[in-house]
Amino acid sequence: MKEELEKLFGEALGNLKVAGEESQVTQVRTEFLGRKGKITALLRGLANVSPEQRPIVGRLANEIKLSLEEKIRESLASIQARKMKERLFHEKLDITLPGRRVPTGRKHPISEVCDEVIEIFLGLGFQISEGPEVESDYYNFEALNIPKDHPARDMHDTFYISDEVLLRTHTSPVQIRLMEKQEPPIQIIAPGKVFRCDSDVSHTPMFHQVEGLMVGDNITFGDLKGILTIFLHEMFGAKTKVRFRPSFFPFTEPSAEVDIACVMCQGNGCRVCSSSGWMEILGAGMVDPEVFRIVGYNPNEVVGFAFGLGIERIAMLKYGISDIRLFFENDMRFLGQF
Amino acid sequence: MRASLNWLKEFVDIDLTPVELADVLTMAGLEVESVIKIEEDLSHVVVGKVLSIKSHPNADKLSLCQVSIGDGTFPVVCGARNMKVGDKVPLALEGALLPNSMKIRKAGIRGELSEGMMCSEEELGIGEDSSGIMILEDDLVLGMDIVSALNLEDHIFDLNITPNRPDCLSIAGLAREVAAVTGKVLKIPSIEVREEDGRIHDLTSVDVRDPELCPRYSARLISDVAVGTSPFWIRRRLESVGVRPICNVVDVTNYVLMAFGQPLHAFDFDLLSEKRIVVKRAKDGDTFATLDRLERTLQGDALMICDGEKPVAIGGIMGGLNSEVSETTSNVLIESAYFDPSNIRKTSKKLGLQTEASYRFERGVDPEGVINALNITTQMIADLCDGKVAQGIIDQCPSPFLPKEITLSIRRINKILGTSLEKERVRRYLKAIELDNKNLDRDKLIVRVPPLRVDLNREIDLIEEVARLNGYDNIPTTTPLARVTSGRRSSAWVAEDKVKYVLISLGYYEVVNYSFISPKLITSLGVDANHPFHKFIRIKNPLSEEQSIMRTTLIPGLLRTMKTNVYNKNSDLKLFEIGTVFFPNKEDKLPIEKRMLSALVTGLRYVEAWNFSGDEIDYYDIKGSLENLFRALNIRGCNFSCAGDIPYLHPGKSSTIMIGDTQIGFLGEVHSEVLENHDLSKTAHIFEIDFDLLVKHAFSKKKINLLSKYPPIYRDMALIVKEDVQSRDIYDAIIGCNNSLVKEIQVFDVYEGEPIASGEKSLAYRIKYQSFKRTLTDQEVNKAHKKLVSKVLEDMGARIRL
Repeated sequence: MKEELEKLFGEALGNLKVAGEESQVTQVRTEFLGRKGKITALLRGLANVSPEQRPIVGRLANEIKLSLEEKIRESLASIQARKMKERLFHEKLDITLPGRRVPTGRKHPISEVCDEVIEIFLGLGFQISEGPEVESDYYNFEALNIPKDHPARDMHDTFYISDEVLLRTHTSPVQIRLMEKQEPPIQIIAPGKVFRCDSDVSHTPMFHQVEGLMVGDNITFGDLKGILTIFLHEMFGAKTKVRFRPSFFPFTEPSAEVDIACVMCQGNGCRVCSSSGWMEILGAGMVDPEVFRIVGYNPNEVVGFAFGLGIERIAMLKYGISDIRLFFENDMRFLGQF
Repeated sequence: MRASLNWLKEFVDIDLTPVELADVLTMAGLEVESVIKIEEDLSHVVVGKVLSIKSHPNADKLSLCQVSIGDGTFPVVCGARNMKVGDKVPLALEGALLPNSMKIRKAGIRGELSEGMMCSEEELGIGEDSSGIMILEDDLVLGMDIVSALNLEDHIFDLNITPNRPDCLSIAGLAREVAAVTGKVLKIPSIEVREEDGRIHDLTSVDVRDPELCPRYSARLISDVAVGTSPFWIRRRLESVGVRPICNVVDVTNYVLMAFGQPLHAFDFDLLSEKRIVVKRAKDGDTFATLDRLERTLQGDALMICDGEKPVAIGGIMGGLNSEVSETTSNVLIESAYFDPSNIRKTSKKLGLQTEASYRFERGVDPEGVINALNITTQMIADLCDGKVAQGIIDQCPSPFLPKEITLSIRRINKILGTSLEKERVRRYLKAIELDNKNLDRDKLIVRVPPLRVDLNREIDLIEEVARLNGYDNIPTTTPLARVTSGRRSSAWVAEDKVKYVLISLGYYEVVNYSFISPKLITSLGVDANHPFHKFIRIKNPLSEEQSIMRTTLIPGLLRTMKTNVYNKNSDLKLFEIGTVFFPNKEDKLPIEKRMLSALVTGLRYVEAWNFSGDEIDYYDIKGSLENLFRALNIRGCNFSCAGDIPYLHPGKSSTIMIGDTQIGFLGEVHSEVLENHDLSKTAHIFEIDFDLLVKHAFSKKKINLLSKYPPIYRDMALIVKEDVQSRDIYDAIIGCNNSLVKEIQVFDVYEGEPIASGEKSLAYRIKYQSFKRTLTDQEVNKAHKKLVSKVLEDMGARIRL
């Protein structure tokens, strides 16, 4: 019986070896280990084996059954693995075909840059304030220490709705509106659209500014330099050279123009910066005491600074755009690049 | 303003290079926009002297000259006749290449050798005079090259002088600044006028009837002047700063204006009726012909310079034709005055006439410089025009101009600037700009400011001067000692960011259009005159009709953007804009400003690709975008209702957008007529929403539901209903069943056509049943679903599609 068992085992292993399909493997299981299988049938005759041989044959039979089961499982696993490998091999994609792109839109570059500016000032503790785009002469000029018939009005080509109502020429009126209804300390920026009647490669009749105002009892010109230097370094890189030079705005004194080293030529002088190596980037100054008086603050007690910057100008420098009008044509070929 | 470096050097020593000087000026607040080098390429042209002139043996019109250049004499054949023996002339020798491309070489002219050419200004390219050979000043050294002899090399600075610094609107004024910042001495010439016969007070008088508008009026008389062309150096100077030479008398007044910043005017004295000057206001509606040959209509507040009968000049702005200096003039009255700045500006604005004079008067000239400028002008005219100056000067100045006294606290300087400047240093700065000062106490100074500095009236003005002279770069850069604040955005900003984020991720591009549009664009929307879009605000002075009204809707801008892009072959577009629209409020008050959110979609949903089909975008795309948006903003209770009466939308494919009972906007397909008006052939869908209302309803508090542990069961229901039944009605009917197990309702099919009878359509719903307490059994869901279906059928008059 021992010999017969080993013979059947050998036969089963032989069948397994040639089995290429899962069905052929399960066939082996049925043929040898099934209820009517050959090994099963043989073992029914175990009763006829002598009692001293019985445990030995029994153990052998068990080992053979377990070993065969194991071989069958291995065989099945190897067939499955081979088949999966074959299947995966045939499922190969052309991975160079373009993906299924669900197109996304873009922010307008003006918003993009404006958000960047806002983000920097929010980080410095500034809050956002806003005001109307159509303003009164009072808020746009008079309250900012620009009386009627003042030559400083030449600095603004103004669109008028009536003698007293106009399109704001700068975001500075927001300063006045805010100070009229809020006591210091104040620390705000005011982004928005402004308008001037001017139109060429470097001027559009509408553009965007961000106004800044910080008022308290202990704020200095040095602080103005500090805040704006931080901003410009964040915006244009920490190595950007910054300079402050005297200028004039009726609502600040001392007033400053702030220049950065030309981003095109790194300060060596080129056509963009008219060989000066510098580019004007924003206007700023200490709030004029007259403005404080107008809004009802005590000019002897409060000090503060204000600044204003043009978003288009920054965007043009950042992206190397030479024609400001592109921003308002909204040509997808332009907008799609941001 | 333009300034010549050569001219500046007359008033102050400059040992900086032009580029360095430009930098120094810019950093002192006098921004130099450009420096242009003036070069004349005139090598081989030298100063010569005519030794002899003989007639040419073979040509009547030519003469034969011997011209010396000191160490040599050259025969020159010449066609001009204006020179005489002994005159110094520019001589171009062999090798010279003149600006008109003429090359000079030795040549025989009609049988006579000519070794050079005597030149006119025009031939040298340095002036307009081509009438004859240029006769040079007698003191020039023979043989000197003409460029250095005539000082032709120069640098022209173009400066942007801010309105507060009229004192810098002259060469001397700039020189004063250069002296202050470089520590050099300012050299302002003082002049003694050589007076001759006749006393001015016997010959004329000045009657200032309006001293408020004319606080100072001074005059001098010069007789027997010979009016003619100015010498080359004056013309050259004037041209270098952009002033056109006219005649010697006028050129001198302009020269002094440019040099010292004091506008002057020369009258032909013999044309003044009653030989006197009266300064008074115009009468409303008076007309007057100015020197530019235009007839001007005046208003009552214009200040006029008159003679005994009539106006002869608009004070401080422009002279009159009726008293213009001309070739026949022999006696001139020179005016030097100080006018009220704001009145000059008013008149200049009203007349639309800005001159070099008005530009300076409206900013403020130096009232103390009036007399010095008058004297310099007078003597120059006397010298150059052989005139005789009458004795005396008229100076009507009823109230003298006193220096201003300002108290300056050193502590205040340092508080504002964040510096620690000491008093002595501050005093040095003040001295550099000629401000006398004395100690008031340990902290304070009393500073005397001459009337010249119209910008210095308050302590803060002086602090600015200190900052400027100290150099902004030398003020320490610090950060404020401020309390910590939360730099937070307002909810409107947060909402705007969110809206942009959602729309951009849905494929929309943000656009920015002008806030002003053409009124035609409103008409193009097909709305009648009573429509709110037509209640627009007009700009009084638009750049063009195209940009003449403030927009009342963002839609026309989006349609224009669509057109621009379709024209550029980009016809698949998803656009949005957030911007302000404007509506009139009450008379002369500020308009109502509303922020709108608008969008436009057109073309294909996705660009057709190997893995995308090219379907046209439709109503449900843009509606879906809105639904996404509302969800992102957590807006509840929004509803789309039939619109029907919006003229620019397709009546069957449009709706109003409601939140509760509030209409916040509209949505739909653009009306074909509107598209035609814009020359657009492809259809487009738009929405416009009141952004402020949207924000008001945004970010309602979120309530988060627990998650059920038990599985859902789905049941479908396909209905046949009349075609005018709306999906929303069926949805409401299902909700109306009040079955708490119903957790989701989804339309999964809409069908019209065979085999459904016409006039009917089929809608199919999938309903999700789920409990939070237990696993539902098929039987109980079947029972609930059956009940729900029969209720819906009954409510909607529908039947089950089999």
